[in-house]
Amino acid sequence: MSERMDRGFDVVGKSERKVDGLGLVTGRPRFVDDIRLPETLSVKILGSPHAHARIVSIDVSEAESLPGVVCVLTHENTPPTRHTTAGQGYPEPSPYDARMFDSKVRFVGDRVAAVAAEAERVATEALKRIRVEYEELPAVLSIDEARREGAPIVHDEADATGIYDSARNIVADVDIDVGDVARGFEESDVVVETTCETQYAQHTPIEPHVVLSYLDPDDRIVLRTSTQVPFHVRRIVAYTLGIPMHRIRVIKPRIGGGFGTKQEVLLEDIAALVTLRTRRPALLRLTRAEEFIAARTRHPMRVRVKLGARKDGHLHAIEMEALSNTGAYGAHGLTVLANTGSKTLPLYNKAPNAHFFGQAVYTNLPVPGAYRGYGATQGYFPLETAMDELAERLSIDPIELRARNHIRAGETSPVFEKLGEGREGVSQTVKSCELARCIEVGADRIGWSQKRGLRPKDGPWVRGVGMSVMMQGSGIPEIDMAAATIKMNEDGSFNLLIGATDLGTGSDTILAQIAAEVLGVPLGNVIVTSSDTDVTPFDVGAYASSTTYVSGTAVVRAAEKVRDQIFDVAAPLLESPVEALSLSGGAVIAGNGRRVGLDRVCQRAMYESDQFQIAATASFVPSESPPPFLANFAEVAVDTGTGQVKVLHYVAVADCGVAIHPKLAEGQLEGSIVNGIGYALTEEMLLSSRGRVRNPSFFDYKIPGALDLPELEVVLVDSYEPTGPMGAKSIGEIGINGPIPTIANAIHDAVGVRMRQTPFTSERILAAIEGR
Amino acid sequence: MTITLTINGTTRELSAGAGETLLEVLRREGFTGVKTGCGTGDCGACAVLMNGRAVNSCLVLAAKADGGEIVTVEGLADGDRLHPLQEAFLDEGAVQCGYCTPGMLISAADLLSRKPSPTEEEIKEALSGNLCRCTGYTKQIRAVERAAERMRGGDDE
Amino acid sequence: MALHHVRDVIRPLTLEEAWQRKLEHGPAARFLGGGIDVVLYAPPTVSTLIDLEGLDLSGVREDASWISIGAMTTMTEAIESATLGRYASGFLVRVLKAVASPLQRNLATFGGTLGSAHPWSDVIPALLVLEAELAIYDGSERTVALGTYLDERKAGESPVIRAIRLPKGSESARGAFASFTRTGFDVPLLNVTCLAVVGEGAWKDVRIAIGGTPGLAKRRRDVEEELVGRPIRVEGIAAAARSAADAIDARDDVRASAGYRRRLARALVERCLLEIVEGGAE
Repeated sequence: MSERMDRGFDVVGKSERKVDGLGLVTGRPRFVDDIRLPETLSVKILGSPHAHARIVSIDVSEAESLPGVVCVLTHENTPPTRHTTAGQGYPEPSPYDARMFDSKVRFVGDRVAAVAAEAERVATEALKRIRVEYEELPAVLSIDEARREGAPIVHDEADATGIYDSARNIVADVDIDVGDVARGFEESDVVVETTCETQYAQHTPIEPHVVLSYLDPDDRIVLRTSTQVPFHVRRIVAYTLGIPMHRIRVIKPRIGGGFGTKQEVLLEDIAALVTLRTRRPALLRLTRAEEFIAARTRHPMRVRVKLGARKDGHLHAIEMEALSNTGAYGAHGLTVLANTGSKTLPLYNKAPNAHFFGQAVYTNLPVPGAYRGYGATQGYFPLETAMDELAERLSIDPIELRARNHIRAGETSPVFEKLGEGREGVSQTVKSCELARCIEVGADRIGWSQKRGLRPKDGPWVRGVGMSVMMQGSGIPEIDMAAATIKMNEDGSFNLLIGATDLGTGSDTILAQIAAEVLGVPLGNVIVTSSDTDVTPFDVGAYASSTTYVSGTAVVRAAEKVRDQIFDVAAPLLESPVEALSLSGGAVIAGNGRRVGLDRVCQRAMYESDQFQIAATASFVPSESPPPFLANFAEVAVDTGTGQVKVLHYVAVADCGVAIHPKLAEGQLEGSIVNGIGYALTEEMLLSSRGRVRNPSFFDYKIPGALDLPELEVVLVDSYEPTGPMGAKSIGEIGINGPIPTIANAIHDAVGVRMRQTPFTSERILAAIEGR
Repeated sequence: MTITLTINGTTRELSAGAGETLLEVLRREGFTGVKTGCGTGDCGACAVLMNGRAVNSCLVLAAKADGGEIVTVEGLADGDRLHPLQEAFLDEGAVQCGYCTPGMLISAADLLSRKPSPTEEEIKEALSGNLCRCTGYTKQIRAVERAAERMRGGDDE
Repeated sequence: MALHHVRDVIRPLTLEEAWQRKLEHGPAARFLGGGIDVVLYAPPTVSTLIDLEGLDLSGVREDASWISIGAMTTMTEAIESATLGRYASGFLVRVLKAVASPLQRNLATFGGTLGSAHPWSDVIPALLVLEAELAIYDGSERTVALGTYLDERKAGESPVIRAIRLPKGSESARGAFASFTRTGFDVPLLNVTCLAVVGEGAWKDVRIAIGGTPGLAKRRRDVEEELVGRPIRVEGIAAAARSAADAIDARDDVRASAGYRRRLARALVERCLLEIVEGGAE
């Protein structure tokens, strides 16, 4: 539900049917492996059984001779180019520490070999016939082990680059400060400190990673792939295989979710190479078990927050120290670490002293990558817990404490400039912030003042309420670039070509809405083609909550250019100066009352006089990243006999600027919050003492289902971001950061225990209640 | 072996391996609306109606389905006319990536064929075997309620 | 996904034929109920499946002394059965409604559930406290107590189960169960299932099964004996719950630790017994 002003938009702000919805509800062949090509080979990957080992020898002769096996790849016959799998802008701020196939394996499930065969069962059988001799090496299986003096070195190869200190397993080291926190704490009246740990958790998109590669009639490689980053895929595959980029075309059709795990070049290099060598289409898809073991995960972190405050509740010093486990490869290691601080500390911008520092370290464990929230999720847990503890110490209502400290419109934070995506950030002033309103609405809906501190009992169940606030960003300033091309058709419709990547988020729809709004046509008159590197202009892809803000602005600019061309054609027809023209209802309207339909305008331009194609391309690089804001409130019930916690009611109130499509924006919040609840309560990848994933299935990795839903209310408050397209900011990630600290704070209200390790399983809660 | 299936009203003879699942046979026959999410019955993306009941097609041996009537999401619409559930899912914003959507629609269709006025609890129960990571289920539950209203002949709000 | 090692699916026309074919193929053959457990767990040594469809093994029937659930009856069919809805105040139906998901309940059969006897089963402890018997066929027709069947079964080597028989006379029994899961669609970390007859302020008959320890459910006759014939007291219930917890064979696994399972056993036994007692207060 939303409380929004009517801003006079015709298309924007309305919840129309998604442009791709019809095909999705009728099961049309829209996903990667919904199309069948003759002669397609099935590709399977052999994963390492060891957490850390050298491959002493690898004999594929028996596998190769199995009837139906067409191609076997190992480190002995593939390019040795070190690269990063992270789908980030070039030059990627992640180490180049991965080879297609290496002579060393670094986690259980790491690539050893790949087989392409006529049928999947033949490929699977062939994997068993690959004879590998391993020299097992001692493994590091935790952050602490990795940092120990003399720890085994995960990346000892000579040709890796971009690692901060490989001899000590340190991928990244970040340290920024503002003022002097040591003195700040001394000057504070109250100091609280908390350390929280977050677990290995996974995105579990319902569609696992999958790619289909094939040669087009001109012998170019086409990668039809489930990705969030088609342009980065093209570049990185070209680099890895040593082939010219223009010989590769990447197409993203509909994909079944990503949440960050598909911001990665996970499979495309293998499929492409199989196709290059065999000239046949190759289908490579992960099973659900492989998805758990060898895709990407959340970065498990240990984060310490120390807050110093004056008696009146004003924060005077904030320190955050983050230790991040970046697994066997460093993709996203630096940037997730940096985001842990850059998306959290500016929220409490008025503390004159702040210090963020931390390291991301290698371990011989499954590989974390990008995951919705991207470090902020891990940072808000201790930050909002510490704020709750501070409120208690100061005897100030937690809401009041936030109100006294959070950033407001017109303000800035020195952290914006000091900390960005791994390097320095970009200074900015917040121009829209409705967090105060968010807090007000949320507190009212949860019944905060009626419920806080009461601890009502019902048999073994005790209730409590908790809250938290947060911000995120909208794109990566000065780094992200998006472009859009719009061309006009002679029936007054338009083709919108965008690199932007719809992973189910509905970006095709909202970007079409933006174009339709500027061009004065109904949504159905904008035909979207997206995410095809041959056809659509560049876009970094779907991450960093960038699509609405960055891609949306590119669309506005392209549409404005097209509008101007339309006006140039229409002006003489309407005998009107261009300045007196406007677009509405599929027509050009003049100040003198005359109008001409867009179809007529385009026909004139296409066929009649001074013919030209009405079309334009525009790009946008943002100079700031206006944060969305979120206030979360939860009521929980804790069973003091079993430790079970039920989230009864969850209220999330967001300022996302103008919601281009309110139901899709609400859907982003609802989905990310439910994901966050799973992350808070039940989701955990469990690892054996040898680094193997013990629960690689939904049977024992428990994500929320329909029965686990609390009463969930999401509200979008009225807000307008002046730098955003139509006033929009973003909403894609922020929701997932809410549940952990909110539920932790609610549990404390109910039973007086502080949960500092996720997930808050019933076993852990019972132990906390009993002081164990 | 050869099996006979009536799929979305059309009876076909299909060849299938003795140990193949219904999911594999259906996808091979081009029913792309039936999705593979896990292959182990945990996610429900592969749900179809078999003899009127929603089941995980990845858990059904093709041999067990032999002679049966199968309805996939492709069979819910009546030509151009979408099923009220499909309309409601579109109107309520209940479709994000769409990968779990066919399975959800099938489970919901089974429910509404037996319970025209389900409570919210009953809807959640009916969808409990269909996992979704995008939507948080909220709008899907609302969509089922709206579809039920329409199918009962109720007014739209 | 596909079982590549399966070569044949046989549809015998009679129970005798089904048994004969099983004898011919030995451990290489499996009986097929709904098929879920075969698809998920059949080892590569299984090459022949013997489908028990079409042998009239479906349906819930009732006579003077017994309720008989055909082994091919699905969970959903049992839930929808009016007969079972009346039996022991619908206790078995309540248990079935909480099992797995509706998609799986539409496929899973009683015979398949008993044939696989997964340790997390919620159905088996309910049948244990109902003191179910199995009508089986292994060359001849016989009945065997469920507990005996479970103790003696070897994986893949079961007789054909024809029906599950529930003795009438449990009409006045009240049941309570707790299946403690992580999410709503899940197998239990622990389950406790109780059925009791109370009267004149005393426990006339008490049956308790604890499962998911992570072992398969077992009757706790030691705890039952503490209660039967005794007056109903809160302290007695608490003591019985403690005994139940102390002596369970609990182990650590990926879902829970042994220690936590013991804590759960105590809490859940106590709650189930209290629920049964309070249920009579209407």
